[in-house]
Amino acid sequence: MDKATNHPYDELLAAYSAGSLPLSQALCVSAHLENCKSCGQKLQRLNRVGSQLMQQLKPARASEQLKNRLLDSLDALTDEAAEHEPTKVDPSVPRCLHQFIDSNYNDLAWKRVSADIHSVELCRDSNGAKVELLKIKPGGSATTHTHLGDEYTVILEGSFSDEGGLYRQGDFMVRTDNDQHTPVATQDRECICLAVTEGPIQFTGLVSRLLNPFIRRGYA
Amino acid sequence: MQAMTKRKAPSDKLAALSACMTRIANDRDKSAFAELFDHYAPQIRAYSLARDPGADLVADDLVQEVMTRVWLKASKYNSNLANLNTWIFTLARNCRIDYLRRNSRYVTEIDPTDIFNDMEDEGPGPFQMAQQGRAEESIRAGLEELPREQAEILTKVYLEGKSHQQTSEELKLPLGTVKSRVRLALKKLEVLVVR
Ligand SMILES: [Zn+2]
Repeated sequence: MDKATNHPYDELLAAYSAGSLPLSQALCVSAHLENCKSCGQKLQRLNRVGSQLMQQLKPARASEQLKNRLLDSLDALTDEAAEHEPTKVDPSVPRCLHQFIDSNYNDLAWKRVSADIHSVELCRDSNGAKVELLKIKPGGSATTHTHLGDEYTVILEGSFSDEGGLYRQGDFMVRTDNDQHTPVATQDRECICLAVTEGPIQFTGLVSRLLNPFIRRGYA
Repeated sequence: MQAMTKRKAPSDKLAALSACMTRIANDRDKSAFAELFDHYAPQIRAYSLARDPGADLVADDLVQEVMTRVWLKASKYNSNLANLNTWIFTLARNCRIDYLRRNSRYVTEIDPTDIFNDMEDEGPGPFQMAQQGRAEESIRAGLEELPREQAEILTKVYLEGKSHQQTSEELKLPLGTVKSRVRLALKKLEVLVVR
């Protein structure tokens, strides 16, 4: 299901592969990857670059003590991850968002932003970036607000268009603060997007948790 | 790239290591685990020390995390689908992301587990696997020929785990220059050509 036609740029994908991308941006890349085979293939090759770079490092000797400690621990190990219950989340929700969504998009506590837009904040990243879902009614304008940092968007359902063309499910976009685009959801259905807006660095997760008791309950 | 040495990992070595994975999966074979430890633990420690020089305990913790997952996930690993070296790299990367999240000064509410875990279990598929051996060799050769300033940036991003922003601050280069050097390096390595 290779529907996406707008992809993360290469150095962003490389940062994702390296693990050096802020997790909020990594969420967007991951949501895109679930819809994009060609970026998945690129990622495999980028991981190979990481692997080669690691192999070229001068090996740093590990102690026998560490080895024996590990060997002694093996029998007692259990795979906690494997014991998780099967998910009840709607399969259309990207896996990376299951940590925020219990069942489906409809059951979230959407808040009205404008006549055309509802939103629900999912969380904050350590760099202050806000992670939210936006729901734009059919034919509605997706312009929310002016903001300072870059905005990363992935379309999860529906589609919208702007001066640059049509954007469909899986499409990945970065908008900088001086972009003057005016995206509009297509008439056939509502459009749901994952949006990450970079914020001031001092805005930590603690603050957003205090401001968002719902989210706190939602997945604590 | 003074920190790097030329060290070939011939394919028969890789085949022997892959066989260790099978022995762990089938027989819970601890001597196979010890063999994997001897090969990969020094690499994983070097990877950790590249980001946190001198932090030996952090490096040991990372080895413990990665090798624990190797033991637990051995039965899911399929050598026909994923190169073991690359699989270990993604495990080390994921464990490091996890560690940094738990030990950061700044709180993030995002759990990386479901963002990155896919790649641990799913390989590139049989078609790419056929080309993988050649790709490994060409990436290795390409890295050796990379201009110094491009190799330096890849080291920052991949091994030291620096964001583009941090890299630009440390090297006193404009952000745009950092990004274009990453792009140029990847182009040289031909990793972005979708065949
Ligand atoms: Zn893509």
